[in-house]
Order: sequence, then structure tokens, then C-alpha cells
Amino acid sequence: MGISVRDLVKVYGQSTVIKGISFDVADGEFVTLLGPSGCGKTTTLRCIAGLDTIDGGEIRINEQVVSNTATGVFVPPHERNLGMVFQSYAVWPHLTVAQNVAFPLTVRGVRDTAEAVKWALDIVGMNDLAARRPSELSGGQQQRVALARAIAGKPQVLLFDEPLSNLDARLRDRTRAEISRIQRELKVPAIYVTHDQTEALSMSDRIIVLSAGLTIQDGVPKQIYHEPVNRFVADFIGNANFLPVQRQSEQWALPDGTPLLVCPDTTHLQGDKITALVRPEAIQVEHQPKAEAQPDINRVTGTVLSSVFLGQHIEHLVSVSGLELRAFSRTPLAVGSEITISFHANDCRLLSE
Amino acid sequence: MNRLTQNSATTQYRFNFLTPLYVLVFAAVALMALVPVAALVLGSLRDSPPGQPGNWTLDNWANLASPGVIDTLITTIQVACLTTFFAMILGTVLALIIHRTDFRWPNTMTGLLGLSFYFPSFILGMAWIVIGSPGGLINDLIRELFDTEANLDIYSVGGIVLVMVLHQVPFVYLTMRGPVLGMDPSYEEAARTSGASAFTMLRRVTLPMLSYALASSTLLCLVMSLEQFGIPVLLGIPGRVTVLATQIYLLCRFPPTAYGLAAAIGLTLAALTAIAILLQRRLARGGQAVATTGKAGRITPIRLGAWRWPANIFCGGYILMGLIFPTIILLYTSLIKFFTGNPLNASYTFRNYLSIWESEGTQLATLNTLLVSGGGALVGVMLGAACSYFTVRLKPTGHRILDMLVMLPFGVPGVVLGLGLLWAYAYLPLPLYGTMTLIVLAYVTRFLPYATETAGARFVQLDRSLEEAAWTAGASRQTGVWRIVLPLSLPSLQSGYFLLFMAFFREISATILIFTASTSVLSVSIWSYFEQADWGMASALSILAMVLMLGIMSALLWAMPGARKR
Repeated sequence: MGISVRDLVKVYGQSTVIKGISFDVADGEFVTLLGPSGCGKTTTLRCIAGLDTIDGGEIRINEQVVSNTATGVFVPPHERNLGMVFQSYAVWPHLTVAQNVAFPLTVRGVRDTAEAVKWALDIVGMNDLAARRPSELSGGQQQRVALARAIAGKPQVLLFDEPLSNLDARLRDRTRAEISRIQRELKVPAIYVTHDQTEALSMSDRIIVLSAGLTIQDGVPKQIYHEPVNRFVADFIGNANFLPVQRQSEQWALPDGTPLLVCPDTTHLQGDKITALVRPEAIQVEHQPKAEAQPDINRVTGTVLSSVFLGQHIEHLVSVSGLELRAFSRTPLAVGSEITISFHANDCRLLSE
Repeated sequence: MNRLTQNSATTQYRFNFLTPLYVLVFAAVALMALVPVAALVLGSLRDSPPGQPGNWTLDNWANLASPGVIDTLITTIQVACLTTFFAMILGTVLALIIHRTDFRWPNTMTGLLGLSFYFPSFILGMAWIVIGSPGGLINDLIRELFDTEANLDIYSVGGIVLVMVLHQVPFVYLTMRGPVLGMDPSYEEAARTSGASAFTMLRRVTLPMLSYALASSTLLCLVMSLEQFGIPVLLGIPGRVTVLATQIYLLCRFPPTAYGLAAAIGLTLAALTAIAILLQRRLARGGQAVATTGKAGRITPIRLGAWRWPANIFCGGYILMGLIFPTIILLYTSLIKFFTGNPLNASYTFRNYLSIWESEGTQLATLNTLLVSGGGALVGVMLGAACSYFTVRLKPTGHRILDMLVMLPFGVPGVVLGLGLLWAYAYLPLPLYGTMTLIVLAYVTRFLPYATETAGARFVQLDRSLEEAAWTAGASRQTGVWRIVLPLSLPSLQSGYFLLFMAFFREISATILIFTASTSVLSVSIWSYFEQADWGMASALSILAMVLMLGIMSALLWAMPGARKR
């Protein structure tokens, strides 16, 4: 059950936009396709929806083959029993809210749509606006109508194409929570496309990071964040400091020779292009280290280059061992002051480029 | 949001009714566009009338080089260029006065110019013949009042150009209005704040910014002038001023006929207009992004000051000469027993109107006109919408060819199209000659681009995701078109229907060679009365036709709110 994508290839004119990706979405699972513009995430979604044909590979929904180039099978979108939410909402201006939501039912010949419409509108909290037209609604309200429409027909799959990018930050937070709640209630597989990491991290059971038509990493949010497979993923999600490192016999060191304790899971990495990742929130910055030096803790001295107040925390740019790092703390530090930074070895991961 | 190319639109589906529809539409448009042209080519190589036994010959094409035809060609180009020159100036000045200055009655002028646009060309020609011919109003009046011969002759190149300009000014105004209104005001404001006077600003900023629109409009105006039939024929024959359209008519209507030569001339005329249209399309595509940025800024109107009354007189003068005066003259002529230039001397009568009321021929013509306009416009809009959906949204294989086929007859003058159909249906097995279907076919072929352009513009605006949302919600392609695309396009379809209805109602040139007694329409009846020198009846029927047209126009605009947006 669920969605199954195998060796998906998509070509537009001269360029191959998707170069062979495979993944599964289990029943009830919420998977996010995350990546920069042009990585192929929207195209993948459209192929699963049947809005685009595929040029290689196979897509199955609930064990049924919906697209397969080898056998020439192609099930058109209206036969795939989907619920899709578009970035532009695509709420039809000539129909009322209730008519919009009832559409998936009326096209299937269902006469009595009132109950299903009420159920769907209740879930998104739009029942008292059922008789309005989309032109009388705000963006957030229109998006909720689109959501209600997507679930009204009890689809077997939910697809989201960057649905929140046209909303302001506050509204985005609220709608994010609603979408998660709805998907969990309905227990259908869902694929969510976004370039926003907050959405990806907070909503997903699994995140698939794409770049230039290929899968870079597929894992749960914690893995993607704490155990990125390469520099691209580490850079794309969260903030990151990348430290150039060199091998010194069995140990690792910074360019100026300062020894660096790294996470034991990653010491096996081979190759020339290795960097060390340290996230700013893992770095402690102090004038004088309070505790004694611990065996697993890296400790280096340096100076403060700048401090920026960001509300939640203060972001410091510090210079240590000839490198510039960013670190977060809640205490203000004077520019130019001498400080010591410390971070645990496990927070320092080696990555290939 | 349209970040993906049309690849998604060419998603192949297994059998659905859109595929056979596409094939049907493609075949219909191909036949409609190619049959008349092919028939003309064939006809130009024959030495006998359509349907009569004869031989193949190249004489017709050889005769194109004869002095008679060459003269006609030169006259045609002369008339067309003069008309375009003056119409462009007058039309552009009108657009600038109405929309760029603090002229006091912009809405009134816009409305009146809209009415002038619908004034049928040949009726305008007739009215001006009554006014300016040697036996007409002005000469008569001057003779009576001043006892001298004014010798004003509307049957001349000057006369033809005058009336053609009066007829085409509203068209120029309408094509220039959009660009004038849509200009980004900041360019002009920069000129004003740098010290330029209003005139300098117009000359050095406004007009150069409008250059693409001006060039495009000029070419379209030129095409219109080359295609003109009613005015050059009515005013040209008595004065022996012949343009290509006139010559075609003469060769087909009056013995000795020469249909083959007419076909050759027709193709030549069509080639001229086609070149102009191709140039215009190339230009229109190139100059898209220039002055209109879409920022609807507040334009500071130019203060007319001392120029206010000249501007008022200019605007009023046009309306007078192009709309009011001709209408009054026709009314007058329809009510007098014998023609005289002095209204005080005339004896008045209603007999013309009574005659028309009782005439079965006229009743039939009126019915035919309503059928052709009402029904034909419907056919045209549906065909146009279907073509547009295929060429703009679905884009299946061959859609570019379909697009070209739709535009092909646009460059063919109406009388040439009529001639082509005459040739075609003399030979084709279909029993279409003498039927209303043929008339509708001619009109739809000629004006299909009106429908495709209005529908097409709307389809392009419609966000693709609105259709895709329907598909992902379970609607098949057909259901998506029926429940989403069509309802959202209704205003444009209404607009297209209105345009077609009005165009069909006024049309004369495409019908004049293919009508028969039972398929006569109002325009042909009026023309016939005029050819018989029955000015009274011709005027009366003209007035009735225009009243009918106004009535229907109002009814359509009331019933179809979408058509009001022009």
C-alpha cells in the first residue's frame, strides 16, 4: 500500500530534469520532497499526480501501476483518486466555497454532497463561509478551501505543491499544524513539496532531499538534521559552520594544527574533500570557561568579530584558529573581546563535499 | 506560476472525445480556409465562368500586366496610402485628445466613436453620394443659394479617400486607445519635470513610445483600406476611379464577364494584404514589452488651454461628418418625394417606408440577416473557442498549422473570398450554392480570427492550475472544460459573439457575389436599391437597418454583460 516510485526519469526537451529516483511512501506516512529550485521536486509530484507523463521508471499507488513507460500504462489524473493542493490554491472563482469543496463528489456523480462538504469544511473551520465566493476570501481562507476540497472526496493519496508559500509567516505556522493534523486523521500517504526547511522538519515523518534530479538523502528529520550525508544537505538545512580539516596520523586537526575531536561515527571517511560540520547552536561561547576541560570537548580560544541580536538568540561571529565561525548564545559579548568556544566532539561531524 | 512548459498539456490520453473533436475542427478550418483560395487559383487558369465548359489558360495572369490592371493597381495603392495617412493622423489625434488631455466629454466621444465604428461602410458611402455628388445636396444648395456651380464631385479619388477616412478613423482610434491608456506615465512626467512643454513632450516622448502601436495600427489600417469594397465601388464606378476591388466586382457583375481574370486579380489583392498582415504580426510580437508596463499610474492630463475649442471643434466635426450628418441626410432622402437640396422646397412622404414594410423581398432579407447574424455568430464563436482551446491550451501536434489556417482568410478581402466561394461551389459536389449555409460559411471564414483572438486571449489568462485542480479532483478533461474553462471564459465568449454578430450584420463584400434572390440579406437589398438609383428606398432601408442594428446591439449588451468590456 502507499506510493511507490521506481527509477523515475523525466525529460523536458533537451534536459533531463529527473535522473532516476526511487522512494516509497507507506500508508499514513507524511513524506516531504525538499530541495532548491529546479531540483525536480515539483516535477516528481506532478508525475505522481499524472499531470505529466514519465520518460522512465514506474509509479504505483496502492499497488496499482499508474505510470509505467515499459508497459505503456498511464492512468490519467482523474482516475487516480487524488487530493491535491496547489501553490496558487486554484479555487474556482465562479463557484461558491461549498460548490468548490463538493466538486470531487459531484464529478463522480454523488448527489448528496451536503454531509461530506460539512465534514470537510468543519475540519478546516470554514463552515460559516460556505456560501461565499473565493473573491470574498483572504488568501489563508482560500487555502483552507483548497484543503477541504482535497480531502472531501476521501482520496487515497494527498499531494501538496508548496501550499504555504503565498501565506504570511503567522498564517503559515497555523496552517502547517492543520495540515499535519488532517493528514494524521485521514491516515493516507501524503507527499509534500517545499523548499522551506521549517515546514519539512516540523511536518514530516520522512524527508527526501533532492538536488538536480537526484536523491541526496532520505531519512527522518532528525537524521537529516544531525547526520547529513554531505555538505549540500548540511548547508541546506539549518545553519552550519564548515571547518576545513586535515588528517594528522590518526587524528584530525584544523589548518593551523589545532587538534579537533570529531564524532566517532564519521572518522572513517576517506578522500580529499572532507570538511567538519559544527552547527552554531552546538557551540558555547564564554569569556572564561566555567568548567574544567573535559576529554570529549573541543576547546579553542579566539576573538569576537561581531554580534547581531536576532531576538531568540544573539549570533556571534568569532575568529578562532584563523577561521570564522558563527555561534549562538544569549549573552551579549563585546566586539574584540577574548573568548573561548567549546563544543562536544559528537557535534563535530566530518562530511564529504 | 506557470513554471512548466506546455509538455504537461500534451499528456497523451487514451481515447476521449477531444481527439475526434480536434480532427473535426482541424478539417473544417482547413477546408474553409483552403477551398476558396485553391478555387481562386484554379479559376484564374480558366477562360470561362465557373461551372461552364472551357479551357485552361494563362491569359488571365498575362493580362495582369495590361495597362488597365496596372492603372488600377496604382490607384489602389494611392487610395490606400492616402486613406491610411489621414486616418492614422486623425484617429491618433482623437485618441490623444480624448484620453490624454482634460477634454471635457471623453465618455460621450468614446460612445459616439463606438457608434461610428458600427456605421456600415457602404451606407456611409451612399449618404456621402447624396451629399457630394454632382446632383447632390451641396451642389444643389450652392446653385440655389449662390447661383454658381460648385462642381463638387464625390466621385473622385479625393471623395473616396474622404469617405474612407471617415469610415476608418474609429478603427484607428480603437486600436490606439489601448496603448495610449496603458502608457507608463512616469516617462512623460520625467519629460515635464525636465522642462518640456506639452507639445514637446508629445512629440519627443509620447509618440516615440507609441511607435510600435502606431506602426502596427498603420499596417492594419492599410489592410483595411486595400480591402475596402463598398465605398470605392459606390463612389468609384460613376467617376471611373477603379481600385482592384472595384475591378473584381465589375468583371463579375457586368457583361462581358471575366471571372478568370477576376480570380487572378483577387489573388494579387490578397497577396498585398497578406504581406501587410505578416509584417504587422511580426511587429506586434516584437514590440510587446515596450511602453505598457502594466503599472496603472495616474496620468496627469495635458491642459488644453487655448487649444480647447479647436479640440472640441475637431472632435465634434468628426462626429458630425462621420455620423450625424450622414444619418440626417439619409433620413431626409428617405422622406422626400423628389430629390432637392433645399429642405424647404421638398415634399415629404412616407411611401418609401410603407413600401418596405409591405415588401416580401425585404421581409425575407431581414429574416435572413437575423438568421445569418444570430446563428452564424454562434457557429463562429463555438468554432473559434474550440480552435483557440486547441492552439493555446492543449497544443496537440499540428496546432501551429491550425493557427495559420485560422488566420489565412483574414488577409483575403471579402469580395475575393466571395469570388473564391463562387468558383469553389460551381465545381464541388456539395449543393451549397444558393443556400444560407454558403453565406454563413463565407462570413465565418472571414471573421473567425475575431472569435479566436477574443477566446484565445482569455484562455491564455486562465491559470493552468485551475484546470489541473479539476483533473486532480476527479474531473476528466472534457468535464474540466465544461465545468471550469467555459464558465470562466463566458465574458470573452459573449464579447466574441457580439463582435461577430455586428460584423455579420454589416457585411456586404463577401456576399455580393454569391447571394441569390432567396438568400439575400439586408445589406444586399440596400445595395440593389442604390444600383437602381432608387435613393429614396435605399435611404429608407438603410435607416431601418441601422435602427434594427442599434436595437439589437442594445439588447445584446443588456443580455450579455461580458460583451460590454471592449
